[in-house]
Amino acid sequence: MTMLLRLASRNLWRNRRRTLLTLSAMVVSLALLTLSLGVFSGMLVDILSSTTEQYHGHLVINASGYLDDRDMYKNFTADPELLQALQQDKAVRGVSERLRGFGLVSHAESSYPAELLGIRPEHEKSVTKLHTQLIAGIFPTDTDSAGAVLGSSLAQKLGVSPGDELIFVTQAADGSIGNDLLTVRAIFRTGHTGHDNGLVLVPQQWLQEVMALKGKVHEVALAVEDPLLAAEDAKRLATLLPAGLIATDWGELMPEMREAIASFDVSRFIFVIILYFATGLGILNTIFMSVMERSREFGILMALGLRPRQIRLIVLLESLLLGMLGTILGLVVGLLLSSYMSLVGFDLSAWITPVSYAGGTIQPRLRAIFELRNFIDPAYMLLLVSLLAGFLPARRAAKLQPVAAIRED
Amino acid sequence: MSLISLNNLSKTYPLGSQKIAAVQGLTLEIQAGEFAVLAGPSGSGKTTVLNIVGALDTPTEGSVNVDGNDYSEMNPKELADFRLRRIGFIFQSYNLIPVLTAAENAEFTLMLQGMSTLKRRKIISGIFGELGIEGLEDRRPNDLSGGQQQRVAIARAIAPQPAVVLADEPTANLDSSTAEDLLQLMRRLNQEKGTTFLFSSHDPLVIAHAERVISLRDGRLESDIQQEAG
Repeated sequence: MTMLLRLASRNLWRNRRRTLLTLSAMVVSLALLTLSLGVFSGMLVDILSSTTEQYHGHLVINASGYLDDRDMYKNFTADPELLQALQQDKAVRGVSERLRGFGLVSHAESSYPAELLGIRPEHEKSVTKLHTQLIAGIFPTDTDSAGAVLGSSLAQKLGVSPGDELIFVTQAADGSIGNDLLTVRAIFRTGHTGHDNGLVLVPQQWLQEVMALKGKVHEVALAVEDPLLAAEDAKRLATLLPAGLIATDWGELMPEMREAIASFDVSRFIFVIILYFATGLGILNTIFMSVMERSREFGILMALGLRPRQIRLIVLLESLLLGMLGTILGLVVGLLLSSYMSLVGFDLSAWITPVSYAGGTIQPRLRAIFELRNFIDPAYMLLLVSLLAGFLPARRAAKLQPVAAIRED
Repeated sequence: MSLISLNNLSKTYPLGSQKIAAVQGLTLEIQAGEFAVLAGPSGSGKTTVLNIVGALDTPTEGSVNVDGNDYSEMNPKELADFRLRRIGFIFQSYNLIPVLTAAENAEFTLMLQGMSTLKRRKIISGIFGELGIEGLEDRRPNDLSGGQQQRVAIARAIAPQPAVVLADEPTANLDSSTAEDLLQLMRRLNQEKGTTFLFSSHDPLVIAHAERVISLRDGRLESDIQQEAG
């Protein structure tokens, strides 16, 4: 085996230029593939986080039926023991209890409909990233009694900036009209039209008082370690919930988003197949040429006592070694390109605006993220393609008749 | 019992719709320790006979027995193993493996047999010394002269101590002086170690060094003469 491996590795470099050309095709294919998949994953994460980490959370706990009509009476008391139990789950990264109200916000002569989310700022920070997307002002603290954070488009329409006052009017749970003053503390911009146009974060206790829902919340939003496992987490956490409460993951909240992610997996597979088909033909050509040129040599090896199986093994080893070399170099180049695109990225905001897709937002930037499978899948598939490309030439070499092969020039 | 026994051997090749008879009804016995040549003009069937004796080709009719092994009773795997252990080949164009060094070429069959590195190195070092090519172990075939390459080929052929060394036109690509040296070398190996050599050649120099000249013409035995080797 050692001798066969030695033969295979040296044969690879007999036609250095041809091997290098094939190798470079493999390296470029793999590097671009890992980069593209990294950027695709980055876009998906952007889209997913634009909804989950800007608004929904990865999963939410509500009173049964609340998600159907957002009826303010379908509320519940946020039991501290329940919140603590959720917080202690190994998959849970953050817990934020929220009260939701709909009404009108006004400033001077302008009034616009808005969704008010009554939050505890420090809790909310552990679930969503709105506090990182401020374009003006400072995110309020838990001690702020009437500070509001609103979307950039809504702020623009109302003509407000941090420090200005707002009036919120809504229907309260006791049938009265609830209203009170808020002070603008900060303005966020997410790129999501709906949120920028109509979402206002307010102190939870303030909203409870305005809506006459003291101590009540409409949901508990959770952030989990791996968003793609949120459905499993929701099932597990459901066992902790008292009767009447349900846990819903982002995939159920936004089925179109789940479909988009599932279709990405299929797209990834098709993309890999198409690119590697071309690469595979290149490898096949190289190995085939190499075998055709060495028919006489294979005949000699057979005369010396090598069995057809060993001849086949030499060719397959050459193919596999080429594949391994291409894979290692391709992974290194891919890793470097992906690192650059991860750390620096490419800002497209000068040319395009954020695009809403599947309920989320695609940011005008190219940014790669590291996902192990974006490296592992293309790598093992390149090795597989290399082996497959070597199979036909190996078969041909093993079928040579020694006498006829030795006669060949 | 003879080392090589060919009984009523025939070989025909298809050529288009016709069949060409390369060997016709050849019966031959070669004893261990002989230094014999299959002589004859091109197309006389000498290389075909050599290939059949070397288990590289199969006869259309007749039987072959080498070193007590009847080829007709052996499968391809057994024949490959037999070639590896009991047959040494020397080719006209040396046919060394270009990506291996001289020493690696020579020890190739020993490695395939699974012999330890230490034992291999000892054997190859001894043979290189005997053949006068010590110091060339690490050179690739392209860095060797024709004569040196053919010496390495001889080293490869004799390294596994085969029952017979089959040499197909071994001097065809060499000048007379180098050819003479190599033939003397092979004759010495034959005399000192008892290695059996069977050549195929129409080179008068090879024929002059052989102690037995088996002449073929049109695939048939023309003459079989014992002579005083030159």
